[in-house]
Amino acid sequence: MTLVAVRNLGRNKLRTVLTMAGVMVAIVTFVLLRTVLSAWTAGADHAAKDRIGTRHKVSFIMPLPRRYLQEVRDIPGVKSAALANWFGGKDPKHETEFFATLAVEPKDFLEVYDEISVPPDQAESWFANKTGAIVGDALAKKFNWKVGDRVTLTGTIYPGDWEFQISGIYTATRRSVDRSSLYFQYDYLNDSPQAATAMHDQAGWIVSRIDDPGRSAEIAKAIDAKFDERDVQTLSMSERAMNTSFIGMISAVLKAVDVVSIVILLIMVLILGNTVAMGVRERTHEYGVLRAIGFLPKHLVLFVLSEAVVVSTLGGVLGILVSYPFVEKGVGRFLEENMGGFFPFFRIDPTTAVAALILAAVLGLLAAALPAYTASRLKVVDALRRAG
Amino acid sequence: MSSDTATATEAGTNGSVNGAIVEAIKVRKTYLRGKEELAVLQDLDLTVREGAFDALMGPSGSGKSTLLNLIAGLDRPTSGQIRVAGVDVGALPERNRAKWRAANIGFIFQTYNMMPVLTALENVELPLLLASLSSKERRERAKTALNVVGLSERMGHYPRELSGGQEQRVAIARAIVTDPRLIVADEPTGDLDRKSADDVLKLLERLNTEFNKTIIMVTHDPAAAERAKKVHHLDKGALL
Repeated sequence: MTLVAVRNLGRNKLRTVLTMAGVMVAIVTFVLLRTVLSAWTAGADHAAKDRIGTRHKVSFIMPLPRRYLQEVRDIPGVKSAALANWFGGKDPKHETEFFATLAVEPKDFLEVYDEISVPPDQAESWFANKTGAIVGDALAKKFNWKVGDRVTLTGTIYPGDWEFQISGIYTATRRSVDRSSLYFQYDYLNDSPQAATAMHDQAGWIVSRIDDPGRSAEIAKAIDAKFDERDVQTLSMSERAMNTSFIGMISAVLKAVDVVSIVILLIMVLILGNTVAMGVRERTHEYGVLRAIGFLPKHLVLFVLSEAVVVSTLGGVLGILVSYPFVEKGVGRFLEENMGGFFPFFRIDPTTAVAALILAAVLGLLAAALPAYTASRLKVVDALRRAG
Repeated sequence: MSSDTATATEAGTNGSVNGAIVEAIKVRKTYLRGKEELAVLQDLDLTVREGAFDALMGPSGSGKSTLLNLIAGLDRPTSGQIRVAGVDVGALPERNRAKWRAANIGFIFQTYNMMPVLTALENVELPLLLASLSSKERRERAKTALNVVGLSERMGHYPRELSGGQEQRVAIARAIVTDPRLIVADEPTGDLDRKSADDVLKLLERLNTEFNKTIIMVTHDPAAAERAKKVHHLDKGALL
C-alpha cells in the first residue's frame, strides 16, 4: 500500500514538486528564524556558570569606581576579577559596520575569560604595548587585519581618533564570547585626556570568576552587600542573567520572531492540506473503486496520510539539506562577519534541524487529517458516480 | 455474523438455495431528492442461478445499476432482502460487507477504473493486498489472472500504454484474481469499439462456461445482451 502512496506522488509531478518546494521553503525559513533566536540567546545559553557580572545598580550605562575591582577580588569565593569599559569605537573606513570595542586590563581579562585564546607571544606583545589590541578572528578576517597592523578608530563616547596596533588575533574555545570584538589596554583609555575628568578611573562593569558555580547567587549577594552603604551601589548577577537582561531589552523582537516561525509552519499546513484535499477530490472515483473491491475506510486514510507524510517529510529533508549551506555558509557567515556582536555564532542547532524534520512529518499528518477523514466517509455508490 | 452463519447453513455448504446464488426478495430502494422520495426499485423479485450469465437491460433510470449495486453489496435496500450465496448482504454491517465483497464479488466497470500509477500486474494484484498472502503468491496469482485474459505480455505496462479493450481485460483479470463466485459487470462494453467489445464478451463467456463464474451484466447494448444466457428487462424499477 505504501507503494501506491509513493507512486501517487508521480501522478501530478508539477504539483508534487511545488508542494515539496513549499514545504522546503517553510522549513528553511523556520530553521533560519529558530537559528536567529538561538544565536541571539546564545550568549545567555552558553554563558559561563562560574562568572558573575557586577554593574551600577541603576543602569548599565552608569560606571563603577575602578577601586571596587580590588574589593570584589577580596570577597570570599571570588578567584579573580576584571573590569571592562565600553569604548564605542568605529572604523572610519567601515562606518556602518558594528563591532564591540572594550577597554580591559589584559592579564586580568584573559584570566577571567579563559575561553579567549591568544597565542602566547601575541599575548605578551599585547601586555607590553599600551596601544596594543587583540581582535577576534572573525573581525580580523572581515577587515583583513593582521598582527602588527596599525588601525585608527574614531571614538563615539571618547571623542577623537585612537590609534591601535593589532598585537594578537584571538579565537574562542567556547561560545560564550564573540569573535568580532576588539579589546585594548584600559590604561590607554584611562590615561587619555578624554578620560581625564569624570570618566577617569571608572569601570563600565566588573566580571568575577568564582570558585564554586553553585554559590553564584550567594557570592553575588555578598558583592552587592559590600557596596550597599556606598554612594555607588552595585547589582551583581550570574553571567547568564546578565546576558539575559541584555536580551530582555529586545524580548519583543525575539517574541515576534518566535511567533513568525510558528506562523510559517501553520501556513505550510494550510498549503499542504489544500493540496491533499485537491488530490482527494480528484481521486474520489478511484477511492470508490477501491472501496468497492473491499478496501476499508482505514485503508483510504492510510493512502491519504502516507502520501502527505511522504511529501512533507521529503520536503522537510530537502529543507534541512538546503538550510545548512544557506544558513551556515550564506546568511550565517554574513551575520557573523557583519553583526558578530549580536550573532557571534550563527549555526544551526542540531535539535532545531531534528525538530524541523519531525514537525514537517507531523504537520503533514495534521494537514492530511481532514481530507483523509473525508475520503474515509465517502459512500461507495456516491464515489463511483463521480466522474473518473 | 451469527445470523449470516445461520443463513449460510440453511442455504447449504455452497450457500446457494435451490441452485440460486442471488435472490432478491421484495426489494425496494428509494432515494430522497430534496423532500421528495424517489422509488428506484419497487418490490422487485429476482433469482439468478449459480453458473448463470444474466444480463439486466432497460432504459436509463430503470434501476438496473441500482439493482447491481445492491446485489454486489455496495448499497443496502430500503426494504426487502438481497441474499447472495445465502448471505443477507443488506444486513451486513459496512465493515463486514467490504470484507464480503473482497472475498465474493468481482467488479467490472464501464470505465475500467485502473489505478493509473500502477502497472497492469500491480492493478490486478491490488485486491489481493487484502488477503493474507505472501507477495510472491500475490504476484503468481495476478500473473495467472492476466494469463487467463491473454495479457501476460502486457503485465509491465501502465494503463495509459494499453488500448481500451486491453484495459478492460486487465479489469477482468482484477475481477477474477480473488476467485469470486459472482462477477458483476456494469456496462463492460460501453466504452469499447465493436471488436474490443466482442473480445471482452467472449472472455466473459469463457469465464462463465470454463471457470463456472456466475456473471450479472448490466448493459444497454442488445448485441452484448445476446451473449448472456438470460436477459432480465427492467423498467421503472420493476422487472418486466
